[in-house]
Amino acid sequence: MAHVVAISSSPSSTSRTEAVLGTVTGALSADGHDVHTIALRGLPAAPLLLGDATDPSVAAAAERVTTADAVIVTTPVYKASFGGLLKTFLDLLPQYALQGKAVLPLATGGTPAHVLVVDYALRPVLSSLGATHVTPGWFVLSSHVTVAADGSVLLDEAASTPLAEVTRQFADAIGRLSPVRAAVAVA
Amino acid sequence: MTKLAVISAGLREPSSTRQLADRLDAAVRAELGVRGDQATSEVVELRPLAHPIMDAMLTGFPSAALESAFETVANADGVIAVTPAFNASFAGLFKSFFDVLPEETLSGMPVLIGATGGTERHSLVLDHALRPMFSYLHALVAPTAVYAATEDFGATGQAALGQRVDKAAAGFARLLGACGEHQRRDTFSEQLSSMEKLLGG
Repeated sequence: MAHVVAISSSPSSTSRTEAVLGTVTGALSADGHDVHTIALRGLPAAPLLLGDATDPSVAAAAERVTTADAVIVTTPVYKASFGGLLKTFLDLLPQYALQGKAVLPLATGGTPAHVLVVDYALRPVLSSLGATHVTPGWFVLSSHVTVAADGSVLLDEAASTPLAEVTRQFADAIGRLSPVRAAVAVA
Repeated sequence: MTKLAVISAGLREPSSTRQLADRLDAAVRAELGVRGDQATSEVVELRPLAHPIMDAMLTGFPSAALESAFETVANADGVIAVTPAFNASFAGLFKSFFDVLPEETLSGMPVLIGATGGTERHSLVLDHALRPMFSYLHALVAPTAVYAATEDFGATGQAALGQRVDKAAAGFARLLGACGEHQRRDTFSEQLSSMEKLLGG
């Protein structure tokens, strides 16, 4: 069992990005992992945007990421890149916060033209934070996600099949990296 | 008379990002002055707008202060945009501003980009993070951009940075001259006129 932190960076709680994340965290929990989701919209705005890592709730969220075994990073696609809200939080983390960790990048957007945001915009930032293994990510087309009135989520097969696959690869990587994390912890 | 909007996303005070923005601003206005253009500039400092930016992100409505910053950018003929480089990309505050800036504000707008960082090893943020975002926003990004590392602000780096700033300013002034006054896009009237066409059958 690993401690997994999922970063949700959508400004809205009813968003498709959030719905997609729910299916991934659900699968990991079912596998026995301890998954904790941090919703960035719930953190105080001023410390987040001004880079104030001393704010207690921001510091607690950053600490959770730093001490996790693995991290899922999700973002809606805005202006052909990751959302600014996600970046404000990543900017607050210690320089090598993702060292020793497996990291799963996920993005949601309205057009397949923006699929490369995962690999051209998000992945370099995660590498810069020292991520040991950024596993294959996935871009979910928002039209493949239906959120019913009761909050239940229906994913098109075109999204659910690859999501299940990247989740499996992420879970495998968590297992493989467990000796690496032990070494980092000792160091 | 060219109107410039200078966007600075520095987080600290004093800020080297603001310092680079001011140097670019002064150099561009000096270059335009040589061409007989008495340009004016207005600075949009994002730090004090942090809270309104987050509110706009969550609610979709900009405050009066943020609206006024949007107006400054929309009414400019050219934009100088400078961000600190964090984690090999633009700062979250910088990106957040462009996430809430109304669509098409920068369409056809000449933009000079700059970034600051602790190490010169991150210079590529200009071409791998800033340039693609401004391309998406349909801005006309000047080919020469300026990256300044901490040591560029020290006694030994000053002269070299000055040369890079002047070179970028000269190129941007040419771009501004070629583009002339920026025609603000009025998406409301555009939608209205297409609606009228539909109604006209």
